[in-house]
Amino acid sequence: MYCNQPPEKPGNKKELLEKITNMARANSLWVTAYGTGCGAIELRPLHTSRFDMERFGIAMRPTPRQADVLIISGYLATKTLKRVIRVYEQMQDPKYIVALGSCTINGGMYFDSYNTLNVLDKYLPVDVYVMGCMPRPEAIIDGFSLLMQKIKDGRAQGWKHYKENLDYYRENQKKIITDWDLPDYNW
Amino acid sequence: MIDKVKKELEIRFPLLKLVREQHNYLHVKVERVSAMDAIVMARTSLGHSVLQLISTVDRIEDDVFQMTWILENYSACTVLLISADYPRENCIVPSLCQIWPAASAFEREIFEMFGISFPGNPREGEDFLLEGWKDTPPMRRDFETEEYAMRVYGERQPREHLDPRQYIGDIVGEWNTPMGRKREEEK
Ligand code: SF4
Repeated sequence: MYCNQPPEKPGNKKELLEKITNMARANSLWVTAYGTGCGAIELRPLHTSRFDMERFGIAMRPTPRQADVLIISGYLATKTLKRVIRVYEQMQDPKYIVALGSCTINGGMYFDSYNTLNVLDKYLPVDVYVMGCMPRPEAIIDGFSLLMQKIKDGRAQGWKHYKENLDYYRENQKKIITDWDLPDYNW
Repeated sequence: MIDKVKKELEIRFPLLKLVREQHNYLHVKVERVSAMDAIVMARTSLGHSVLQLISTVDRIEDDVFQMTWILENYSACTVLLISADYPRENCIVPSLCQIWPAASAFEREIFEMFGISFPGNPREGEDFLLEGWKDTPPMRRDFETEEYAMRVYGERQPREHLDPRQYIGDIVGEWNTPMGRKREEEK
């Protein structure tokens, strides 16, 4: 059912072609409809007409299989992390993670909670952090334009990093998720 | 209305202690052995037929868990709180699932958070909020939250405290408003 090898690189793509693909990717970011923590509140004005993120080609998708951006919008409980890992692994490559708020950066004001993790980067590869508690929609748009720039430059390689360092991420994830029952990584 | 409830309870439970009383609110404390009788009586003959909440307070100084059942009477708009103390060591409290099936969720939550066992709850021990928790139940006061967070989620750099006065001087800020200046002078 599951392959245990990452896929071979599909031929030698020409650099120019890669650049064009990245340009296309950057301008059509589809976001998984998922929210955690306080931050999902700030995403609502972003979707709707006031800040309107669709003008940047950012749209919400109902399922992770159609999306390429996962927004972690605040603190993550260990229980939620399990679901987030599942969602992330179901997304198609290339995929990016945008993390909002100080809670994902260093635990924020929940740093000594028994149930929320502190540094998200240990468990999932984050491409862009947006700081603030909670970042306003303008800041999130700023984060997205940074992500677009990173994709265009070919620097948003979190998903590759995740595959190459899967053991490291798995070890960290299993350290805090004590009842591990997720399926193995499906390339 | 609540006077009648109080009178009825006082006749049946002479050891009852009055904690607080308002025009539509009554909080009483009964002996541990008569707590279930009081609850059943409140439901069957006093009209407090809605179980709104079961709450627990860890009173570690007295070595007890204080259980409180909050019962409402919707037609008379009155609230009755019935409390009882249970010893902390291997705490066992009778389940109310036979009377209110909805009590199951509260009891499962208390079981996870405080480690109080409710024999008679058909779903006791099923995962509810914490999945695979192995430590001391987190809401008990002998649980070291910060130590746990440091151990499991990793050390986080302590926050640097920056005094804004050092950076922006006395130009703006609370201390430069009339009220602030007055407070400074008083100091
Ligand atoms: S950073 Fe602030 S607003 Fe965001 S999830 Fe944490 S506490 Fe909530």
